[in-house]
Amino acid sequence: MGRNLLAERPTYVVGIGLHRYQHKTDTTYVQLGLTAVRAALADAGITWPDVETAYTGTALLGMGASRIMLSRLGATGIPMAQVENASASGSTAVAQACLDVASGRTDVALALGVDKPRGGLPMAPSEAGISNLEGGTVVPFTHFALLASEYMAAHGVTAEQVAGVALKNHRNGARNPFAQRQQERSMEEIMADPISGSMSRLQCCPVGEGASAVIIASDEGIDRLGIDRSRAVRVLASATRSEGLYPPGVGIDAALTVETAQAAFDQAGVGPLDMDVLEVHDAFSIEELLYTEALGFCEPGQAAFLVESGHFDLGGRCAVSPSGGLLAMGHPIGPTGTGQVAEVTRQLRGEAGDRQQPGAHLGLTHMVGVGAVCVVHVLESPRG
Amino acid sequence: MPDVRARYPELIRLGSTADDPPVIIGQACGACGRRSFPPDPYGCEACGAAVDRLTSTELAAVGVIHAVATVHRHHHPRPETPFTVATIVLDDGVTLKGVLTGDTSAVGVGSRVRGVTVPWDTDDDGTEVVDLRFETVGGEG
Ligand SMILES: [Zn+2]
Repeated sequence: MGRNLLAERPTYVVGIGLHRYQHKTDTTYVQLGLTAVRAALADAGITWPDVETAYTGTALLGMGASRIMLSRLGATGIPMAQVENASASGSTAVAQACLDVASGRTDVALALGVDKPRGGLPMAPSEAGISNLEGGTVVPFTHFALLASEYMAAHGVTAEQVAGVALKNHRNGARNPFAQRQQERSMEEIMADPISGSMSRLQCCPVGEGASAVIIASDEGIDRLGIDRSRAVRVLASATRSEGLYPPGVGIDAALTVETAQAAFDQAGVGPLDMDVLEVHDAFSIEELLYTEALGFCEPGQAAFLVESGHFDLGGRCAVSPSGGLLAMGHPIGPTGTGQVAEVTRQLRGEAGDRQQPGAHLGLTHMVGVGAVCVVHVLESPRG
Repeated sequence: MPDVRARYPELIRLGSTADDPPVIIGQACGACGRRSFPPDPYGCEACGAAVDRLTSTELAAVGVIHAVATVHRHHHPRPETPFTVATIVLDDGVTLKGVLTGDTSAVGVGSRVRGVTVPWDTDDDGTEVVDLRFETVGGEG
């Protein structure tokens, strides 16, 4: 059994910064990334030479993205690398930065997520030479439409109840200046424009461009650089797992989430019902229901009813996707996971303005990536 | 009568007559006994046995719908939208996804289905290419 490094050497998020998520523009990825990093440095009250190591979470940019970008803050010669883990690339960059700091190798590390949409990029799993009968008919939105069909049939849930996730998340996203979709929507608008099964356009996340950055530091780094401790959010857990083999009929993404959440809660010494705020991988509305259940917030089949009752609203028992989630804030791939950590940090500092979850003390981020992989972080407010 | 081949011959064995149902080609692991689909050229996900321990096994194309969705947006012209896909648990214990054919208005979770072939394309040499679809089996579901 390995060591619980985050318990041995306290590790904190000390700076966050974003470039708004948006439809693809002529803005270069370098500009997107630098905007987020400069904002994170300013937020932490430190300068670029204080950063000792850097990880760039990206799945779409191609080889060698980090240095051409980060050297424009000053070519300090620090170690840097790209991290690709599909939709969980940014989350994995955070995990690497936390590992660097928790291990004692460095005191200050950067995790940056940045991406721009690009067509025609090869997907490694489809290059594996394993054929299937579907002939390309089951793309992600249909995979999740099938899970929605299964969920509704098993639990007596309606399509409108599943869509309730999107109603909530578009409402939250309307309060987030960094969200790609910043418009509150009616249930009628959300149910319009069917894509596949009960999944409509506004129940599917937009994939645009953007950037988000998170600066991770140790106690020594905080003291040495005079960083404000009252805004330092401790990382209690950083867990990553990949898909196992599950019995027929068991949902893969949910089963993987159960295992990863357990690993994270074991590290953190807390449980799901201790959480006040969650950012989960809601690329499709049904996913938020499956994952809040898999993370242990309620029994299978209950999440749809809890969403309907306001349990997961801002101001409810536990705020889920206060940023608007992937559905409204957007899913630019590389930035998504770092953006989740930025949002939960903002919430736990009490700095989320009109989308603040009152009294938020503990929070969790959760991303799933094609493969499948799952990454979960648990964060604690500066109040300790 | 022209020659006929399956669109995915590595996954489907056609019946010898038009009335003979198509069979799905799965895989069985000689080390741990796991049955799986689609056939894998590398090894067993359950026990790690190398591909030389994996043997081809035929799975009857009959089962029950576990989930169903009608697709309205598709990035290829075929199949034409809307079409309906389903997650199907075969009686032989393997779960797969397939496209439905025929009247799907009454199809739901729990409906029994069986594999049939439909015309897909014609090769340059005149060989007729057929693809697997699933249709509901009357009287059950
Ligand atoms: Zn085996």
